[in-house]
Amino acid sequence: MEALTFNTNSGYLEGLVRGYKSGLLKQHVYANLAQCETLDDFRLQLSATDYGGFLANQARLSSAIIAAQATEKLIDEYEYLRAQADEKLSKFMDYISYAYMIDNVMLMISGTAHGHDTHELLERCHPLGWFETLPTLCVATNVEELYSLVLVETPLAPYFKDCISADDLDELHIEIIRNTLYKAYLEDFYEFCKKLGGATADTMLPILEFEADCRAITITINSFGTELNKDLRSKLYPSIGRLYPYGTAILSKADNIGDVESAVSLVKEYTGFFDQTSDKSLDDHFYEMQAHLNKLSFLQQFHYGIIYSFLKLKEQEVRNITWIAECISQNQRDRAMNIVNIL
Amino acid sequence: MAPSLYRSENVSLVQLFLPTESARATVAALGRLSTIQFRDLNPDVTPFQRSFVKEIRRLNETQRQLRYFHAEITSAGIPIKEGPSENTELINSSTVEEVMDQCNTLDSRIRQLADSSKSLNERYERLLQLRNVLIKTNAFFNQSNEGLVLSSLDESALHASHEDDDELAAPLMGSSAVELDTTTTPTTLSESGHPSIPIDFVAGVIPTAKFQYLERILWRTLRGNLYIYHVPADLPTGSNDDGLADAQTIFLVFAHGTQILSKIRKISDSLGSTLFTVEDNAARRLDQLRDVNDRIGDLSSVLDNMKNALFTELSFVADHLSHWETLLHTDKCVYQAMNLFIFDQNHKCLIAEGWCPQDNLPLVQASLRDVSQRLGSQAPTILNVLETSEVPPTYHRTNKFTEGFQSIIDSYGIASYREVNHGIVAIVTFPFLFAIMFGDLGHGAIMFAIALAFILNEKKLGAKKDLDEMVGMVFFGRYILLLMGAFSMYTGFLYNDIFSKPLSLFTSGWHWPSKASGDLLRAVEVGTYPIGVDPAWHSADNNLLFMNSYKMKLSVIFGIVHMTFCLFLSLSNYRFFKKKLDIYAVFIPSLIFLESIFGYLVVTIIYKWSVDWNGLGLRAPGLLNMLILMFLSPGTIAEPLYPGQKYVQLILLGAALICVPWLLCAKPIALYRQHKKATAPKYLSLRDSDDTAEDANLLSSVTEADPKDHEDFELGEIVIHQVIHTIEFCLGCISHTASYLRLWALSLAHNQLSTVLWNMTIANGFRMTGVSGSIAIFILFAFWFVITCAVLVAMEGTSAMLHSLRLHWVEGMSKHFEGEGYAFTPFNFIENAE
Repeated sequence: MEALTFNTNSGYLEGLVRGYKSGLLKQHVYANLAQCETLDDFRLQLSATDYGGFLANQARLSSAIIAAQATEKLIDEYEYLRAQADEKLSKFMDYISYAYMIDNVMLMISGTAHGHDTHELLERCHPLGWFETLPTLCVATNVEELYSLVLVETPLAPYFKDCISADDLDELHIEIIRNTLYKAYLEDFYEFCKKLGGATADTMLPILEFEADCRAITITINSFGTELNKDLRSKLYPSIGRLYPYGTAILSKADNIGDVESAVSLVKEYTGFFDQTSDKSLDDHFYEMQAHLNKLSFLQQFHYGIIYSFLKLKEQEVRNITWIAECISQNQRDRAMNIVNIL
Repeated sequence: MAPSLYRSENVSLVQLFLPTESARATVAALGRLSTIQFRDLNPDVTPFQRSFVKEIRRLNETQRQLRYFHAEITSAGIPIKEGPSENTELINSSTVEEVMDQCNTLDSRIRQLADSSKSLNERYERLLQLRNVLIKTNAFFNQSNEGLVLSSLDESALHASHEDDDELAAPLMGSSAVELDTTTTPTTLSESGHPSIPIDFVAGVIPTAKFQYLERILWRTLRGNLYIYHVPADLPTGSNDDGLADAQTIFLVFAHGTQILSKIRKISDSLGSTLFTVEDNAARRLDQLRDVNDRIGDLSSVLDNMKNALFTELSFVADHLSHWETLLHTDKCVYQAMNLFIFDQNHKCLIAEGWCPQDNLPLVQASLRDVSQRLGSQAPTILNVLETSEVPPTYHRTNKFTEGFQSIIDSYGIASYREVNHGIVAIVTFPFLFAIMFGDLGHGAIMFAIALAFILNEKKLGAKKDLDEMVGMVFFGRYILLLMGAFSMYTGFLYNDIFSKPLSLFTSGWHWPSKASGDLLRAVEVGTYPIGVDPAWHSADNNLLFMNSYKMKLSVIFGIVHMTFCLFLSLSNYRFFKKKLDIYAVFIPSLIFLESIFGYLVVTIIYKWSVDWNGLGLRAPGLLNMLILMFLSPGTIAEPLYPGQKYVQLILLGAALICVPWLLCAKPIALYRQHKKATAPKYLSLRDSDDTAEDANLLSSVTEADPKDHEDFELGEIVIHQVIHTIEFCLGCISHTASYLRLWALSLAHNQLSTVLWNMTIANGFRMTGVSGSIAIFILFAFWFVITCAVLVAMEGTSAMLHSLRLHWVEGMSKHFEGEGYAFTPFNFIENAE
């Protein structure tokens, strides 16, 4: 059925996204980039790609500027897609942005708790997760206030119902809130994608499941050596993903990396994650797996997943070029190719 | 050989030795000539490792500064003086250096001025905001004081007075009024505000769009106990480039307690509002206002000075900007071209290779000599013509007339090197096929007139750069349009159609009887109309029947003539490239196949026309059935056309059938034989030799030496290619002939549409008489003419043009066009724009 009706509203967008995707940097471009000796060379090399003259008006270059400009280009493309979307798709894209909203809210809260300047924090917020009342988060001192003052009218409000308490916003609580929110968000998004059904569900569910697994593993590892007790910890695991329920059950009892490894080994694809012989970090493994899953979604047609996947792949690309630029500016070019390959 | 338009030009590979000191000037001169396509001699070198990257980078830097100047000049509203579009003077490193230095100093100066004027401007705007806040606050307090006086008399009146102001205001004002009532007396209030009341408030300005968030958040923060007063600020909107241009709102928030006040401040601040400290005492507020006014006066004079200085600098830049831009652009293009060159061993000169049309070589030589003379350089630039086995690019020299036709063909594919150029043929065939569909004397004349208008004004229009996209397209195709219009007038004349009406230039060959006998009025043929269709047909009942039969047959005839013609172009190609095999194995069977079936059809059509069947007392035989029967039951003739038809048709059918296996097999077999003959002796010589090691050497040397001569002969590929070609050609003959029927269909549609339009609009006007009739004709003419131009000429014309395009690309060019070439793109300064 999708094949019949999908193109009525979203065919143009799918074409656009596939076009954008074909502009992603290829392996040999990365190899050329990694050979650059200065950032000026880097700019010249990038100008031959889809990025074109995006740095032409910068007098001075740094990896931060490159990252900012590249992100801005990504956001432009994404906003263009967003502006063309029909009701169902824009709901889907809203869901994508909730993740960034959560990140922004958490950034604002923790930043304020540490006494950072509000405007500085606002600049660091991700533009996709921007909402008008975001700046006012700096006045909140506890969770209850946070919710009732600002978040009650944002789409994040429903996710908050599990963590309203009058607790102060200290480090541990912020992390707990973040993970509770994220858990609720992931589960909600998962349900939404399931409801959309069809190819969207086929592609999005594995991606979100993997996302959930990543969070479960990360939460467990990060909790070692903190005050977070196991009971509370197990509540933070999303109730979706391939590790759920057996893997998360083991994770909830884990005391060290070895326990995590045994939990993770339940899923065949994850077994390489804790391989000590490779020089990749766990995050690298996560990114690689994520890129792989996102690439898969381009194999199917007539679904929304490619928009999510495009965003994620492009973000990975921005991370990659930022890394290479950073390596060049710090004169460590031999490490420049330690990036996650996309295509 | 004189340059011919029939084939693309001879292009040869040239090598240039450019002395390093004069290289830049020489390349610039070559760029102006726009006749050499440089080849990349260092394909393995990444862009940033090339020889002249540093220079390009410096130019980029200056270009960035120029872009900045451009933006500043545009925002200051200074017109930029148009400079020459091309740099004609000799490139001279010192002028470029000078420009770069000048730009550097100007850049820092303008940046400084712009920055300080911007920050001053911000301060100025802030002061304006403050003044506005002060005025509004004053107004508000004066107004509410009156309310307070009232409140002391009757508290309920106060509620009423504020309820329409702001719903939220009522409870708070009520309570504060009570509070005020206890501390002060009404008499002191009415005199000079209320000096002793400690009302705490936060005053500020916020973009109107954000006000609602502020209000809502504050309402929640203060638990609904909010009194906020707001008025739209009357600031000059649409001001400068900084984001202050949006509408602003002034707000006053009243609250108690330092903690709450600081919270309010924090919230409003975070939402992007500007807060001001406003005195709560009316007298001091007035002082403050006076002070602010003074400062505004001071600041505005400083600001004016600053802006004047900036304006002077920018106007200076504006005069030179476009000249600098072309200069830098030219220089950058030169360096980019030089990046394709290599140095010789001594670094004394640069070596360049490129493609250049042979006829332009003397021109290049002359310009090289000219440059070295002007520079007075010792070492001359040397130009060598190289032998190469590579296929040169395809270069069709065009002029303003052939340009449009060439681009029609090029947009389908670039012809192979030295292949017959279909663009030259299309100059006649394209407008003609169009005209068969569009045939109408009136519509053709409109089109012709439009094209003529463009052509007569082409100098003026051509100089304009910003032609509208549609107009630009029509302008580019003005000569195509002219021919299309002229040919349509001709065919329209033959069809005897002018705006769907007949033209009675000569006496009709039909005579209408003056008296009707029964229902039917039958005309009697008394003669032959000298040229074209007899106007009598227009009013006849069987007009459509006649025209359809005529136009259908006409389109088949033209189709087959066109296809045959294009097939002969392939003969011209085979002869030019000396491919004898293709003539015998491809061209001849194709021609026989086409002519024995469809050529025969054309002959019978013309034969049928030339026989007076009524005079012979016979029924005219159907040609369609004849053709079908010729295939389905060879040998049977349902309605004889001429004696001996049976045998002629059997022979023709036989010839056509033989052609299929001929076309299919002849070429692969012949190629296979050739290949065997070419490879056989080499194997023999290897087998004869004694030394096995030498064998291996020989073998490898043979395979290495001439990989191009008969590189991996693959019979399978050739067979498949030939099978595809055969199927395509044989089926194509049938489907393409059918495809030419669009000539008839579109011509019919065009004619009917214009008839309908005439009858529905202006014909009604002719039926009325008197004054109303003339008014009706006046109005209906406008209707009719506008629709004629918009629908019949513009829309129908476009559609007929697309069909004609298709007939060329698919039906015509498939008969001979290879299209495996690549376009010649000479180095110049226009194309190389970033």
